[in-house]
Amino acid sequence: MSAKEEFASRWGLILATLGMAVGTGNIWRFPRIVASNGGGSFLVAWVVFLLIWSVPLMMVEFAFGKRTRKGTVGAFAQLVGGKWAWMGGWVALCATAIMFYYSVVAGWCLRYLVAAVGGRVLTDSQGVWEGFTGSWQPAAFHLLAMGLGVAVVLAGVSGIERVAKVLIPSLFVLVLLLTVRAVTLPGAVRGLEFLFTPDWAALGSVNIWLQALTQNAWDTGAGWGLILTYAIYMRQREDVPLNAALIGFGNNSVSLLAGIMVLCTVFAINPAARDEIVGAGNEGLTFIWMPRLFAEMPGGRFFMVFFFLALSFAALTSLISMIELAARNLIDAGMRRRQAVLLVGAAGLVFGLPSARSLAFLHNQDWVWGVGLMLSGLFFALAARSFGLEKLRSEDLNGEGCDLPVPRVWSFIVGVVVPIEAVTLMVWWLWESRSWDPEGWLHPFRPETTGTVLLQFAIALTALVLYNRWRQRRQEGVR
Amino acid sequence: MTTSALVFLLLVCGLVWGGFVVLLVRAVRSEGRKSAS
Repeated sequence: MSAKEEFASRWGLILATLGMAVGTGNIWRFPRIVASNGGGSFLVAWVVFLLIWSVPLMMVEFAFGKRTRKGTVGAFAQLVGGKWAWMGGWVALCATAIMFYYSVVAGWCLRYLVAAVGGRVLTDSQGVWEGFTGSWQPAAFHLLAMGLGVAVVLAGVSGIERVAKVLIPSLFVLVLLLTVRAVTLPGAVRGLEFLFTPDWAALGSVNIWLQALTQNAWDTGAGWGLILTYAIYMRQREDVPLNAALIGFGNNSVSLLAGIMVLCTVFAINPAARDEIVGAGNEGLTFIWMPRLFAEMPGGRFFMVFFFLALSFAALTSLISMIELAARNLIDAGMRRRQAVLLVGAAGLVFGLPSARSLAFLHNQDWVWGVGLMLSGLFFALAARSFGLEKLRSEDLNGEGCDLPVPRVWSFIVGVVVPIEAVTLMVWWLWESRSWDPEGWLHPFRPETTGTVLLQFAIALTALVLYNRWRQRRQEGVR
Repeated sequence: MTTSALVFLLLVCGLVWGGFVVLLVRAVRSEGRKSAS
């Protein structure tokens, strides 16, 4: 590997990985999920799963990337055998399928940033949103987001590091400013009370625990393969455990700030509409309600710019990591970086178009590959188990450069607890989805059904396993 | 603000933000040691 393909410093690696982890989910999903799951009691479960899902899995990913210096497919093949390379393929497929529509989401954020800078206080935000999503603009801004992401990744790891060093500290400052503004609004204390009043009885609810685990699985980036990808470029004497813990806590710190910011704003400005706002979905909260709330806030125009700027930074840094993941697997297959990144960019552009044109298609993909990520997490845990958890712990986590020795319990968490969590989550979400469409829950062509997940999983897994078999036979034939 | 909410706020924020700051300080110190050696 050339010297160029290495993070110049530990801080470059940490900021790039934080950029990967902190995405729109921290800002638009976390506040909604906290609010609709009992506030304080949800936070307890959320902190617990940070420690028994996110951080242990992040350590696995760091260890895989640092040990193999290969993308997801190559890493799984090297650590658990070529027969299981399809598992790495699944991880890559999930993250890449998410990249296709995530670029559209990043485009929405950029579009609203432009609108906010242009001084359009979106009082008719419902109409603006409907007009926007029904037009050609989502496709154009998807092109812009993908173009920006590709331009950064084309410059290699040094490009990713340079961008992260600017965007991530700026994102922290912006979220902090927005939070300070929100908590100083008259009536904001009701938001704090709602968020931090613990309802201990609610901790008996299985739903709260599963929602907290889901939030950790979706917004920390653990088990997505993205940390593995950045770990390829970490220096040999770099620490793993402390960096993983730092990123997990850093990510959840931003989520907590975002939760305080959004809920204090809602409770200060329009407490009567609290349930409607929380129930409006990710897009409803962000693109319809937040502009309305900013419009009524003193200095709201400026804070709306900050809000969409923060959201754009969060989305772009995550998109960059997804592009790098896909490109890295192609580079491992023999392509040059430029070719690989341009190919990923072109594919992203084409396969993102259906999501840019149809919200139903985007929701379908978000649903299917969101569940797919839980399977990715399971594959990481199984691969680590197959390779040898104690070997991984002693050689890669507690080995050269370690700043935070990892106790033996980590092996138990990754080998036993994480697989149970992943299977439980998948079964629970598929079971829950039956109630969203009781008549047609098995229908494979409806946006959010059990059937569409099963069909797309079956096609993807069959294709990956067959391709892997064919590739292995061909390699054996060559030998 | 109720006392229980205030205590819980300090507990959760202390754990998450405090955890982040403690880990960050540890990383800074360790990096300082590594570059000095």
